Amino acid sequence: MSALSKVTYFCRSAAVGLKHSPFVHFIAVTTIAIALFSAGMARGAARVLDNLLASLGGEVEVTVYLSPELDADEVHGVRARVLALSGGEVTLVSPDAALSRLRAELGDLGEALAELPENPLPVSLELRVPPERRNPDALLALAKALRAAPGVAGVDYGEAAVQRLSAIARALRFGSLVAFAVVLGATVVIVAATLQLAIYSRRGEIEIQKLVGATDRFVKAPFLLEGLLQGVLGAAVALFGLWAFGRVLGPTLGALFAFLLGPGVAAPWVEPRLALELLCAGCGLGLGGSFVAVGRFLRV
Amino acid sequence: MIQFFHVYKAYPGDPPVLSDINLNVEKGEFVFLTGPSGAGKTTLLKLIFCAEKATKGQILVGGRNIARIRESAVPYLRRNIGVVFQDFKLLPHRTVEDNVSFTLDVLGVPRAEAREKVRRMLKLVGLEHKAGSYPLRLSGGEQQRVVIARALVNDPTILLADEPTGNLDPALTVEIMDLLTQVNVRGTTVMVATHDATLLSRYQKRTVRLERGQIVSDEDGVKAARRMVV
Ligand SMILES: Nc1ncnc2c1ncn2[C@@H]1O[C@H](COP(=O)(O)OP(=O)(O)O)[C@@H](O)[C@H]1O
Ligand SMILES: [Mg+2]
Repeated sequence: MSALSKVTYFCRSAAVGLKHSPFVHFIAVTTIAIALFSAGMARGAARVLDNLLASLGGEVEVTVYLSPELDADEVHGVRARVLALSGGEVTLVSPDAALSRLRAELGDLGEALAELPENPLPVSLELRVPPERRNPDALLALAKALRAAPGVAGVDYGEAAVQRLSAIARALRFGSLVAFAVVLGATVVIVAATLQLAIYSRRGEIEIQKLVGATDRFVKAPFLLEGLLQGVLGAAVALFGLWAFGRVLGPTLGALFAFLLGPGVAAPWVEPRLALELLCAGCGLGLGGSFVAVGRFLRV
Repeated sequence: MIQFFHVYKAYPGDPPVLSDINLNVEKGEFVFLTGPSGAGKTTLLKLIFCAEKATKGQILVGGRNIARIRESAVPYLRRNIGVVFQDFKLLPHRTVEDNVSFTLDVLGVPRAEAREKVRRMLKLVGLEHKAGSYPLRLSGGEQQRVVIARALVNDPTILLADEPTGNLDPALTVEIMDLLTQVNVRGTTVMVATHDATLLSRYQKRTVRLERGQIVSDEDGVKAARRMVV
């Protein structure tokens, strides 16, 4: 029969359901909204963290010490090689420059260096690693490759610091992922529970539908639609919340963290991409919950 | 139209509710199903529209073996069977019109068309002036007629009525029975379960008598009439 009249029937039925028990649906929508709002916040926090890592990582420099017996031409060759391997910027630091820098860094103690008969420092290359290689694995690989290169005596970079920083970031990300999974699971359970109530309050109707020849799908569709509607509403509320949060607190936070992140962190809190993702997640949550409810409580 | 072959029905732990039922109802027939309360009349009707499953035996409805029907085919079977439930099963928060329309909504009949059919049906049962009322505001007889309207609005080939005159006064009983015979005259196969003996004597139709889950007699209309005269 007419698909259109069925669709309008389902929509009407779902709307009646929402109207019928507004409090229950309010709870489900709120739960979804809170879950998605937290997800959006976590997203924002992750972005801040990424920026933080990138800005700290910018200071990661790899120092390549060259063998002392190299002549100027050979130094030049090694430099080209290092440049090719790393793809970043390479600065040549002469032994004299290195010594005076060391002297400055040591302060009063630095005077002692003047007593040295000859400069013990080798020629070194300071390497600024391009952003895409500023992670522990890439740095380790680079260091390995550099150490194997002829004319290289040693390679030094803030191995431990980089690794610790990345580990922290990884732990944070993993933790938020676990927390998020828990929140999602709980949300599905709550949505399912609200729909269980909806199903229960309409059991008379369902019984009669079945007796006059409704298919299972026909009976279930309005509840799935109801769940979907909850998801969409929840996502809308969450997006509004995030938008309002960005409007009210965004500038303050940006100013607060500007010293760490530099300018340009006050990017909009709600981007179209995020909005789309949250909308999809909302639909998923609503549908997921209603599938669970319909599967468990609508054994017709 | 409806055939039972050695049908048994038992609920786990209890003695059988129906045993060795053999029955053949032709297309267009009007059959009374009678017997004392608890004899198994309701259960027998439930088997026909798959509200219960037979424990043993075969049941053919419109040529289909419903003992072996797939779960997903049940709705389509039910669309050809109108049922007047003993306990009405009307939705209290829906108007009379919406209650009757329920059968058509499920089929996805467009709203305007459904409205028209419902209006015609309510006219037939004499309730067009109550279309906007709620079931609980109606008398028992009126509710009964709403249930009949809902059962008939989709033009089923079979109408099953379970104690359709159960709690009605004699005048209303006549009204309802006239309605059912009218439906039968238009070609619908009708089965009426009743424990009301006066009904049987007034309408001399084929009568199947159940006692403790067994068919104890099956008299056609002529025979029933003769018995009444004697
Ligand atoms: N769901 C059920 N579970 C167990 N026993 C049932 C159930 N439904 C009906 N019965 C039993 O089946 C017998 C016949 O019931 P029913 O068909 O309603 O009789 P009738 O309609 O002739 O009064 C009764 O003894 C009743 O207790
Ligand atoms: Mg009964």
